Amino acid sequence: MDKRYTVKIKKIIDECESVKSFIFDMDLKAKPGQFVMVALYGVGEKPFSIASTDGKELMLTIKKFGKFTDELFKLKEGDLLSIRGPYGKNFSIRNDNLLLIGGGVGVPPLFFLSRSLFRKANITFINAAKNKNELVLDRIIKNHVDKYVIATDDGSAGIKGNAIEVAEDLIKNNKYDFVYAAGPEIMLVKGVQLCEKYNLNYEFSFERYMKCGIGLCGQCVCEPTGLILCVEGPVLKRKDILQIEEFGKFKRIATGERKYFN
Amino acid sequence: MKFLGHQLKSPLVLASGILGISYSSLRRVIKDGCGAVTTKSIALNPRKGHEGPIWAEFKGGMVNAVGLSGPGIEIGIQEVEEFKQVCDAPLIISIFGSSIEEFKKLTEYTNNSKADFVELNLSCPNVSDEFERQFAQDEKLVYDVVRAVKGISNKPVFAKLSPNVTNIKIIAKAAEDAGADALTLINTLGPGLLIDPIARKPILKNTFGGISGPCLKPLALKIVYDVYKTVKIPIIGIGGVTYGIDAIEMMMAGATLVGVGSAVYYRGQSVFKKILKEMNDFMIENNYKSYEELIGKIHNG
Repeated sequence: MDKRYTVKIKKIIDECESVKSFIFDMDLKAKPGQFVMVALYGVGEKPFSIASTDGKELMLTIKKFGKFTDELFKLKEGDLLSIRGPYGKNFSIRNDNLLLIGGGVGVPPLFFLSRSLFRKANITFINAAKNKNELVLDRIIKNHVDKYVIATDDGSAGIKGNAIEVAEDLIKNNKYDFVYAAGPEIMLVKGVQLCEKYNLNYEFSFERYMKCGIGLCGQCVCEPTGLILCVEGPVLKRKDILQIEEFGKFKRIATGERKYFN
Repeated sequence: MKFLGHQLKSPLVLASGILGISYSSLRRVIKDGCGAVTTKSIALNPRKGHEGPIWAEFKGGMVNAVGLSGPGIEIGIQEVEEFKQVCDAPLIISIFGSSIEEFKKLTEYTNNSKADFVELNLSCPNVSDEFERQFAQDEKLVYDVVRAVKGISNKPVFAKLSPNVTNIKIIAKAAEDAGADALTLINTLGPGLLIDPIARKPILKNTFGGISGPCLKPLALKIVYDVYKTVKIPIIGIGGVTYGIDAIEMMMAGATLVGVGSAVYYRGQSVFKKILKEMNDFMIENNYKSYEELIGKIHNG
């Protein structure tokens, strides 16, 4: 039976420009990479990756993006939200030399992974953003990684450059066993090319418009295999990613129409 | 098995509204064992559908109010053509219009598509704000829509009917008299209401949603049973089919084909394979040689 938790927001943290973390007292048995559906009654319901959960607290780190998040950002501590899940496939658990590449809103699920694997694996974490003010979870990632690398497009913090350029430099000079990534699709597509170039195995988390979250409505299906991203993703393994032809080309919008990336 | 001149590899059909937007998921369902697929209902123009939550579960079933999201008929037909390029299994295109005129316009499009059958969704319970009432609740309207579409369609026409009527037999007969080639029974029940007691709000954004899932089975069986005795055209039986035995019962009540929908949630994408295996096991144990033997079995012992 699907579980729906209607819970009070315990704490709201202003993370950076347009990003807030919402913290709830709840024991959600979730694994890194999984997501929840968050409902704001009367407004809508959207999927969000879990930024961390430890049996006591759940944290969702969310970027203001559209109508739903506009309303969400008006909420105060003590207000109610309705959460169902966890859903989807998680990142696999490894204990070797790992490279984590997070871009923008892709950072929270990788933070959860890093927190779970810290001291069990050797973790290098690239936190990439447009600029210093858009760095997500910068305040806490450093405590859960072995090597922390910041990359900004404008060089206002860390290394100037995009996530994949920075990752390539690291890959050239270090030996990684596995790469994890989450972030904008263009970054992920370049990440796939990078990992293939250096023959590194990987798992990436992808995003599509989701409506039911449970594999029924078909809105998040990816071509040409018919992969159902909400139940068979959002974390995909190398062999699955290589089969999907639409990544980097188009995605389906609410009506089911294809929208091509420019 | 044979169905209206087409060869189907099994009596299972993907019900409308489940995974039916893109050609690739339709093809995948065929690979998993479905004999035919039904597209999600397609309207003339693109529709976003309702905001979420669009789905909620309760013990025994679920409610949904997706609100007929879809890309509109022009793009919907492109997906049909793509499906047909990679798969030769029969495809049922489900269409949804708000008036007889719209149904006729939609039929002009389906005439020029590679779809094998046209299913008229006369009974979606989730768009009542937009449309005063369902066609399927009025035998005269059912007759008029089916008749109008049959008059111009170059493909067999199915009428998908609602359980939310006083006497389904009258409606079913009206559809048959108007020339329907088959009946699809039943659409979701209700709609119903689920409440979040802590938030003191309806869970669904649309407040109400069509009820589906295992709790529907006895009602669907009864309606298929009644309609089988009333009409001569074949029935696609849908409602709560989750296990092979449910499909067997549906056929015994009078269904020629059996629709599977919400079971995809309960048993995953491989549900079609599982149901077929369970059906075949039952048939071997009980000495049935063909699916056809099961149809209407309880009516003639």
